[in-house]
Amino acid sequence: MNWKLRTIFAVILITVVACKDDKVEDPVPTTMYLRITMQPVFGASDLSLNDTVTTSEGYKVQFTNLKCYFSSLKNGTSQLTQAALFDYESNGIQVLKVPGDPSKFSSLSGFLGVDPELNHDDPSAFPNSSPLNIMIANDMHWDWNPGYIFIKVEAKVDTIPDANTVLDHFVIFHVGTDPFIQTLSFSGLNWTNNGNDVYTTPLKLDLQKFLQNGSQIIDLKTEYTSHTMSGQEVLSEKVIQNFAAAISVY
Amino acid sequence: MKYLFFIFVSMVIFLSCKKDKVGFTPTPYELEIPSHFPDMIIPEDNPMTVEGIALGRKLFYEERLSGDNTISCASCHAPASGFSDPNQFSVGIDGIPGTRNSMALINLGWQNFFFWDGRSKTLEDQILEPVPNPIEMHQEWKDAVAKLNADKTYRNMFFRAFGESGIDSLKVSKAIAQFLRTMISGSSKFDVMYKWENSLPLNSNEQTIYATITAEEWAGYDLFKSLNGADCFHCHNGPLMQVQKFSNNGLDATFTDHGRRDVTGNPSDDGKFKVPTLRNIALTGPYMHDGRFNTLDEVIEHYSSGIQMSSTIDPMIEYASQGGVQLDAFEKDLLKKFLLTLTDYDFISNPDFQDPD
Repeated sequence: MNWKLRTIFAVILITVVACKDDKVEDPVPTTMYLRITMQPVFGASDLSLNDTVTTSEGYKVQFTNLKCYFSSLKNGTSQLTQAALFDYESNGIQVLKVPGDPSKFSSLSGFLGVDPELNHDDPSAFPNSSPLNIMIANDMHWDWNPGYIFIKVEAKVDTIPDANTVLDHFVIFHVGTDPFIQTLSFSGLNWTNNGNDVYTTPLKLDLQKFLQNGSQIIDLKTEYTSHTMSGQEVLSEKVIQNFAAAISVY
Repeated sequence: MKYLFFIFVSMVIFLSCKKDKVGFTPTPYELEIPSHFPDMIIPEDNPMTVEGIALGRKLFYEERLSGDNTISCASCHAPASGFSDPNQFSVGIDGIPGTRNSMALINLGWQNFFFWDGRSKTLEDQILEPVPNPIEMHQEWKDAVAKLNADKTYRNMFFRAFGESGIDSLKVSKAIAQFLRTMISGSSKFDVMYKWENSLPLNSNEQTIYATITAEEWAGYDLFKSLNGADCFHCHNGPLMQVQKFSNNGLDATFTDHGRRDVTGNPSDDGKFKVPTLRNIALTGPYMHDGRFNTLDEVIEHYSSGIQMSSTIDPMIEYASQGGVQLDAFEKDLLKKFLLTLTDYDFISNPDFQDPD
């Protein structure tokens, strides 16, 4: 190649490089996430598992386990999630974190419990990431026919006002089955961006209200166990109604 | 020409002297998961391969992993005993017994934590412990690895499994973990009962088994699940026959072995231990974390009348205050008959799980 050709080639190359468009970085698409938390409280105070609180009857109570299912959470035709599991001991206050646009979910409605459309499906067949998969449901699933346990409240209590303060009385509320499912609705939700496009809206679960929902009082001295069995319908209904009433926007 | 001949001869000598060439063409392994089981989550950094599983199987039975080359994983997890130890406590190479009963190895791919106190969160982590444990195999990993490295068969098998030369403890644990994940039990008589009651289709073999299920076994299953009966299903539930949790099941009023508390430091975990599966329960005695019960009859008696109260007792043991669920002799017999349906003979005799050498 002689020098003329080399020069022409170099000029063309410089021209091409000099004339190409300024490269503009494509904006990296970001995914927005919606996160719902639920903080257990007892009246005005946050509640941790195994904290000792005193009921209006003077009973000392330690809540040892709090779990519940939410399902079919949506706003109109926009579905937020098929199901979510609140498990205070294992997951803390987080109820769910899913991709979503906060502007579409200023209100939410759904079930406390597992939608009857899902409640009797094979718990092994849900995807691994689903809260309804048996590996995640774990002890929140009874069997295919009754289905999932909707809410689980376990506690230890001392109902005798004497010098003995041992919490030796067990409270076990495991409520489920289709007739006891509760509807929930929340409006005016405020989604706060906590960074990284994770928008959080907080709920609270007031265990004081759970025990005393207006005139619907659960007296732990006499009303301390329900597995939603035959003969336990009245208490089961009161328990899950009070639990639903105890959930509100924080 | 003379030079060409010299080069040719050198090439021949070089090629004939080079190390055995082992290729790395891993074959993905497809797990056969029973239709009524959930999917198994496989760690991304340890995919299942035919080569990895073959290596893991050989290592599982490898006595050179112990300091004096006398015990392997299978010594304390014997196939004939449902991959557990028929002794209350396993004895290490120095003749020192452990303090807890060896857990049965079964359906490990679905466990969320390992050991009775749950101190390992992954199967791979769990496998790293027994080799250097002074009361078990009592050998530093570097010495175990050196023994394996001196064996050409192992060098080749590790390369086939992992695609790189060199052996280390992590590769050993990964290979054994792959093998253990293949040890799936889901073909007992109980599985047929579970599928039938949930309207899952039965194949012809399962239909044959279904025809052999007795009324007493069905009654025992009902009792097992009944809240007013044996009330076992709070902790032993679903196709895996367990829930993933720690429980104080009322063995003692005070504790010499603090179990989960020693891991978490949390007083509310005192005396709690991992809830094991009941699969193959008839083969995996003695029972409980300390192997205190030799027979299923003793276990049933414990839950019937031997419950000890303590501050951390599992509230799911609802009749604890009266000592247990108070089964009569007939009910105990029904319950035992059901527990025997959990034996999976195909699993125990599966040739793929036996010593390859």
